[in-house]
Amino acid sequence: MSAAPSLEAITASKAYGGVQALDNASFSALPGEVHALVGENGAGKSTLIKVLGGRVRPDSGTLRIDGAKVVLAGPNDAHLLGCWTVFQELTLLPWMSVAENLLLRREPRNVLGLTSPRRLVAAAEGVLEKFGITEIDPRALIEDLSLAARQVIEIVRALSHEPRILLLDEPTSALMERETAWLFAQIRRLRATGTTIVFTSHRWHEVETIADRITVFRGGRDVGSFTTLAEEEAVTLMTGQRVETFYPPLPAAPSARADAMLSVADLAGGRLAGVSFTLHQGEILGVGGLAGHGHRELFLMLFGAERPHAGRILLRGREVRLRSPRGAIRNGIALVPEDRKTEGLLLPLSVRDNLTLAVLNRLSRFGVIGRAAERAQAARLMARLAIRAPNAAIPVGTLSGGNQQKVLLGRWLLADCPILLFYDVTRGVDVATKHEIYELMMELARSGSAILFYSSDALELAHLAHRVLVLREGRIVAELPARDLTAEQIVAAAMRERLAA
Amino acid sequence: MPPLAIRRSAAAHAIARNIGLVLVIFLLLFSIFLYGLIYGLTEGRLPGGFELTSTVNNTMPLVLAAMAQTLVVLTRGLDLSVGGVVDLANALGAISLGATPARMALASAFILLAGAGLGLVNGLLVAYGRLQPILVTLATLSIYQGLAIRILPQPGGAVPEGYTALLTNTTFPAALLYVVLLGLFWTAFRRSQAGIAIVAIGNDEGAAAANGINPLRAKLLAYTLSGFFAAAAGLFLVATATAGDATTGNGYTLTSIVAVVLGGVSLFGGRGSAIGAILGAFVTTMIVNILFFAHIDPLYQSFYEGAFLVIAVVLAEGLGRFVRGRR
Amino acid sequence: MRGVGSLDETWRRALYAFAAAVLLFALGAVVRPGFVRPDSILAVLTVAVFVGLVAAGQTFVILIGGIDLSVPWVLNAAAILLATSSGGSDARAFSALLLTLGMGAAVGAVNGLGIAFLGVPAVVMTLAMNGIMEGLTLGLSGGMTCASCASYAPPAIQALAHGVFLFLPTALWLWLAVIAIVSFILGATVFGRATYAIGTNLRASELAGLRVRATIIALYALSGLAAALAGIMLVGFGGQASLGMGEPFLFQSIAAVVIGGASILGGRGHYLGSVAGAICLVALISVLLAMNMAEYGRSIIYGVIILVLLLLYGRESRES
Repeated sequence: MSAAPSLEAITASKAYGGVQALDNASFSALPGEVHALVGENGAGKSTLIKVLGGRVRPDSGTLRIDGAKVVLAGPNDAHLLGCWTVFQELTLLPWMSVAENLLLRREPRNVLGLTSPRRLVAAAEGVLEKFGITEIDPRALIEDLSLAARQVIEIVRALSHEPRILLLDEPTSALMERETAWLFAQIRRLRATGTTIVFTSHRWHEVETIADRITVFRGGRDVGSFTTLAEEEAVTLMTGQRVETFYPPLPAAPSARADAMLSVADLAGGRLAGVSFTLHQGEILGVGGLAGHGHRELFLMLFGAERPHAGRILLRGREVRLRSPRGAIRNGIALVPEDRKTEGLLLPLSVRDNLTLAVLNRLSRFGVIGRAAERAQAARLMARLAIRAPNAAIPVGTLSGGNQQKVLLGRWLLADCPILLFYDVTRGVDVATKHEIYELMMELARSGSAILFYSSDALELAHLAHRVLVLREGRIVAELPARDLTAEQIVAAAMRERLAA
Repeated sequence: MPPLAIRRSAAAHAIARNIGLVLVIFLLLFSIFLYGLIYGLTEGRLPGGFELTSTVNNTMPLVLAAMAQTLVVLTRGLDLSVGGVVDLANALGAISLGATPARMALASAFILLAGAGLGLVNGLLVAYGRLQPILVTLATLSIYQGLAIRILPQPGGAVPEGYTALLTNTTFPAALLYVVLLGLFWTAFRRSQAGIAIVAIGNDEGAAAANGINPLRAKLLAYTLSGFFAAAAGLFLVATATAGDATTGNGYTLTSIVAVVLGGVSLFGGRGSAIGAILGAFVTTMIVNILFFAHIDPLYQSFYEGAFLVIAVVLAEGLGRFVRGRR
Repeated sequence: MRGVGSLDETWRRALYAFAAAVLLFALGAVVRPGFVRPDSILAVLTVAVFVGLVAAGQTFVILIGGIDLSVPWVLNAAAILLATSSGGSDARAFSALLLTLGMGAAVGAVNGLGIAFLGVPAVVMTLAMNGIMEGLTLGLSGGMTCASCASYAPPAIQALAHGVFLFLPTALWLWLAVIAIVSFILGATVFGRATYAIGTNLRASELAGLRVRATIIALYALSGLAAALAGIMLVGFGGQASLGMGEPFLFQSIAAVVIGGASILGGRGHYLGSVAGAICLVALISVLLAMNMAEYGRSIIYGVIILVLLLLYGRESRES
């Protein structure tokens, strides 16, 4: 294997508005190498992938493929050089079939230039079979496929171009274990043929499993490249802090006599197959496991945003039926949802409007909003959460990811709900803000709030929860106490691997 | 471990995918049946060749207008100027269709080209002007209607018999041939690179662009073709009426939308078949016929049409969700 | 008072619309001296009232990304209903007024129900409702041949439409009142805030605990109410109802709202912009009439001017 890199970025920089996403970052990958890019959100991994894949032009710096300098005007240029990317945002067409999507722009055509459904399906079958996918029907509409299946199709599409360089941005975010194993098998196969594979991931066990080399990013630049790296060291590099100080100390676990704020009995629906647990006052209850095993349904059901098929929800011992988010809020339950940009914030509206959105009734009389009260409350929250914005009237969409998340959290703090459902609250948030959010959670627990906390980051769960419930295939397969809890234990329970004693 | 996806039979997929088409076929068959029943009860015999011919002839303009609207709706747009182009083609046809076949052919070609040009204007404004389709076509509707009235201020002009015989023959339903041709055109177009591009950008413009499809070109084509078919609708209209009128096309804007919706084409773009819209046009005419022969007070006609539209859409939505059911 | 959304953007566009209106008046003065005499300006503004009233309803629904295509026949039905149920007398005017306004609100609410609960797209639901109202109106009135169909509007309403109070037409005072009420609703109430929120992001609004469906129904009810009010004023102005009197107001109300800076996709805009847009449109038509332009010329220029205005500041932003 030659030591000449197949893919390089040299002191690349890219700024969006006032935010420096890449700051003189350099990167190089070798042929036949599986190279992992790790880093906190906002560290620049995704931007680097976009630059390498031709989606984004860097403000400065050089790109080299196989040693030759290249300028990519768009993804197409990258494709011509054999470099294919699977981005985080899928580019599938929902109301067209798998076959149509797989073969888009290269459909088999007859002499008149027309495709035929039958040939299209047959060709797609061939492609799927070549990559070992037998379960997806090429005639199925993308819209009818699960997120995992869609991601598989997007990956197969890239693979079918026989790339010499394959870039994957969070390829496993929606995949379950079986598909992940499939992906890794494909990656290994490609590696054997000399292809360069670069991927980003937040899951350390994946990185450990498959990567030949790991490059850590922080603050828009590379901070180190390693062939082996321990997770704790990686976290230190990624966050700039030692693990011990990064996670604040947990307040004392609630006593056995503490109020059972929220109880769930055999709750089921969607991918949730039946879970039961109790959340106490002052407790942070973590929920772990791989995405797609019922977490989303659980949280939405507890917020009245989805109807359960079976099971009961009890608040302080009293059974309730939550028909809508409005009803949930009235019962003192708040949800910070998964995607703040599409489910949480109203980006063009002001910071103040977003903060007060859930408590408008309380701030108004006879339907008229009390301006002074609104201003005061918004100012109070901005100060308490240290939201960095010039004033409360600017559109929340102009804030950084971390500040946006704080605004969303602020909304629910204003609503004063004793039960808080946090769904991956630190996703897409910079390191400093993450720390602030952790401190906030501790403070809330200390003052008696009950927090149900889902995170895709097992390390976070291990350090921030009094107990962790691990969901797998819609059921709780493990309940892990905080003492001596490690991320590995959570992951193992999620994957039902056996840990070495 | 649940499977990644469930495999179903080819037939199940075809139905799930074309549920809109399936429904409109059912609607059409049902309405034809109802029509035959009511006609038989009130006239004492089954509808015959004459009824078939006149129904088809009267529906042809709407069929073409529906075709025009479909192409734009597929790109997630709306073409409100359809009525205006129909008017303009109508007016031009009334004054320029001469007696000789050569003259007729030349005039028709010119009018169709003009329609395409008007559509192109819409397309340029939507694609390059980055204006919302509903607003652009609202404005161009006014412009095209004005032009039509300028050309033919009063109903009049003359359409030679031969032309009428060619397009909307009154002795036998020759127009059905055109319907078949339209169906063939659509089938071929849908399978062509251009057709796939139009459907793709209606699905998700960003995703389509990321896959190398040029949204600007696709939109230009969709609107240009829309203008072309709307002009054709105008020609059929003037042929049926045998004289020109620059205002009878106005109603086709909204009725073309109705036909498209009945035909299962989604107003959100990206899915549906023009064949569905064509059948939807026939359903619309059938409803009118049914109301007529059932001696429903013609004043109440719009009421039934409106009620029918809502019920059909609600049923279609409900059935569609049911069929696509569990993942 | 403020509009939410891109605040500066909204006010900037409304300002442009007002500037355009002023320019059109100036153009009118050039074309026909005397165009800018106080009484002729007031005449133009009075005509704009009717468009403006319908535009109020249209503003509400466009703000949530919807549209109301049932305006023509709700307006027409209201005009006929007021005339026939009051029988031309002031004694029954009040009850006739309540009945008519109630009808408008009820029809709008049905639109809202279909859209919010049955998932029917706004274009389809309101289009169908327009047909339903047309059929009901024509049928129940026998094509305007019924006994009471030739009734006049009650004198009180006619006075409202024609009268003058403190140098301004009473119709204008009514419009000012409507402007104040609508602006208040949009800018100062929870309902108004919810409207902008839903128009910006429906899912996020749901998850924030807003009453999305109720708001949608209320907005369409308001649109129906506005159309009915316009119908009442029109029949008061013209004396008698006629068939087809609502037709021109559909496209004009939509154009007014858009020229006023609202986004057809929802979440951005304000009624004051629609007011400017209405004045613009009516001023434009008046100028074209003053030029003695034939109907076809008016049509063409009308469309061209709208396109120009749209191109100037109605463009969607480029995809980043």
